[in-house]
Amino acid sequence: MTNKSSVEKLPIPSDPSEVEQFMKDRVGLGESFDLGIRKIKIHKKDVHIYSVNGLCDTNFIIQIIKELVELNDNENSHQDLYDLIQNRLLHQSVQPVKLMDELVDQLLSGLIVIVMEGETEAFAVDVRSYPGRQPDEPVTEKVVRGSRDGFVENIILNTGLTRLRIRDERLRFEILKVGERSKTDIAIGYVKDVANTDLIQIIREELEAINVDGLTMADKAVEEYLVKQGYNPYPLVRYTERADVAATHLLEGHVLIYVSTSPSVIITPTTYFHHLQHAEEYRQSPAVGTFIRWCRFLGVFGSLFLLPLWLLFVLEPSLLPEELKFIGPNEKSHIPIILQIFLSELGLMFLRLAAIHTPTPLATAMGLIAAVLIGQIAIDVGVFVPEVILYVAVSAMGTFSTPSYELGIANTLVKLVLLILVSIFKVPGLVIGFTLYLLFLANLRSFNSPYFWPFLPFSPRACLEILFRKSAPGSKIRPSIVQPKKRQKQSSSS
Amino acid sequence: MAEKEKLEQNQKEKPLSFMAMVILTGLIGGIFWSGLGYMAYLFNFTDVHPNVILEPWALGAWKKQWLGTVISIVLMGVLSIGVALVYYAVLKKMKSIFIGIGFGIGIFLLVFLVLNPIFPGIKPFRELSLNTIITSVCLYALYGAFVGYSISYEYQEQEYRENQEVREKEVTS
Repeated sequence: MTNKSSVEKLPIPSDPSEVEQFMKDRVGLGESFDLGIRKIKIHKKDVHIYSVNGLCDTNFIIQIIKELVELNDNENSHQDLYDLIQNRLLHQSVQPVKLMDELVDQLLSGLIVIVMEGETEAFAVDVRSYPGRQPDEPVTEKVVRGSRDGFVENIILNTGLTRLRIRDERLRFEILKVGERSKTDIAIGYVKDVANTDLIQIIREELEAINVDGLTMADKAVEEYLVKQGYNPYPLVRYTERADVAATHLLEGHVLIYVSTSPSVIITPTTYFHHLQHAEEYRQSPAVGTFIRWCRFLGVFGSLFLLPLWLLFVLEPSLLPEELKFIGPNEKSHIPIILQIFLSELGLMFLRLAAIHTPTPLATAMGLIAAVLIGQIAIDVGVFVPEVILYVAVSAMGTFSTPSYELGIANTLVKLVLLILVSIFKVPGLVIGFTLYLLFLANLRSFNSPYFWPFLPFSPRACLEILFRKSAPGSKIRPSIVQPKKRQKQSSSS
Repeated sequence: MAEKEKLEQNQKEKPLSFMAMVILTGLIGGIFWSGLGYMAYLFNFTDVHPNVILEPWALGAWKKQWLGTVISIVLMGVLSIGVALVYYAVLKKMKSIFIGIGFGIGIFLLVFLVLNPIFPGIKPFRELSLNTIITSVCLYALYGAFVGYSISYEYQEQEYRENQEVREKEVTS
């Protein structure tokens, strides 16, 4: 890598044909069809314009070339070519380039590069127009009411959507390029006088330290470099595709990472409870939002512990208090309950996986087969007792009510481990499993922030804000988890 | 102006003082984990009912009823404030969550071995069922982590915040 960069640190030769030769040798001019060169003459000097089709807007380029060619008629030839061209480039974003590798980088990012005879500097003009879609409501984070513009794959549009919501002079987007071959744009977004300087510094250093060919899996790959989570299934950062959610977190003092080619933005630092919040809660009145949130907590809790508890009571019915003695399978089956649960959980996993990549016209058929045929017939044949289906279904609904897909899957994994523990060790298995689970979560850290905050370590006020969704004027303190520079939200009153 | 002050958005929220946070953590920790202990008792995970705390005193019949349960859970919370203050006084500088867990297990040993004779509701240690011991150890360990780790973390936060303010002043001046 060092060898390569030292070669490419060469300055731009003053003869455009040398540049052309370089392009042929190194960048594949003439070999790749998408790299193009347009040669014109201005005052009898060669001017070459390089472009990559597909990444730039042809109309702009035509305009610029037209203006340049007209120089021959309108200006006298004694003037300096460099100044003349700089003056006539009809674009707000024109940047002089001095080095060949910089030139190539810019060119392959979709800018056009103008090389002039007799000059050792070239111009890069930002006529980029990346292929992409328009902001659209994100499929994973829908709300009943609220803005429908979600992030897209274009980092410029994404930062634009954020800037639209925070017109603060202190909002910063630091951009850097990561990936030896992909040269992916990554922007660190934060509000300068709020976000924690140490956190920004850590993130910047971690991003700069990434040494990889390409980040084709964009944000997910970046996350794995940032948090180094190993085989811990819990998501240590939160993703959002909603611009309003991203802006809210910026104002709270979080640091956001925008990765080009991904419609999700990384929110750091994150806790377990961040994954349980959803924009919908904030689109309803505080009472309704609180109610929704409690239902959701109940669902998530159920998705984790309902099945292990039920299995425990099936294995040891003597544990049940008198009033709940009716719980438990009424029919006997030939297959142990634990096996039945695992089989149906496996079936559900199949269903989830299949649902992701089944073409929409076939999805209905798939649902029908899964629900009616497998569920009903399995009971009729006597493979499953009805209770297993009931509890597995309720616990699956709990998983679906988890707003974060990643958290839902991680919880499912933990549930399966708890089930195994219960089936082997009964009560001690469940109790010790529960304890270790909580302690494991409490001991996790995401960018130095405890993962299970504000429950463990306990923070009374933040816990209250998690339990009760406060009204917008009532929520005045930034969460201490981000260690903000200013704790009060309204800067005027501080 | 007076009108303006009354608006909810213009009222300032004072951050909790460290002492208030310790007391609240103790209270809520005691109530929460003894409440969970009561649930564990309901489902026969443990033989220890929270109202063993009331047993040394001769009280009315209510102490065996739901009122007794509620009062004992609240009482646990109050006692737990003392526990939190002890942790605050002695161990607040410890960073690890394991200190808190050890602290909790220490309290478990204290209650179940040393103070055992005071509570007629808790059988002598050797006669306790395995389920009871394991459930109690786990509850106490979680309780210890809850109180201990919270206080230690808040202590570090406080220090960090002071450092941050000092650094900010250096930058601005």
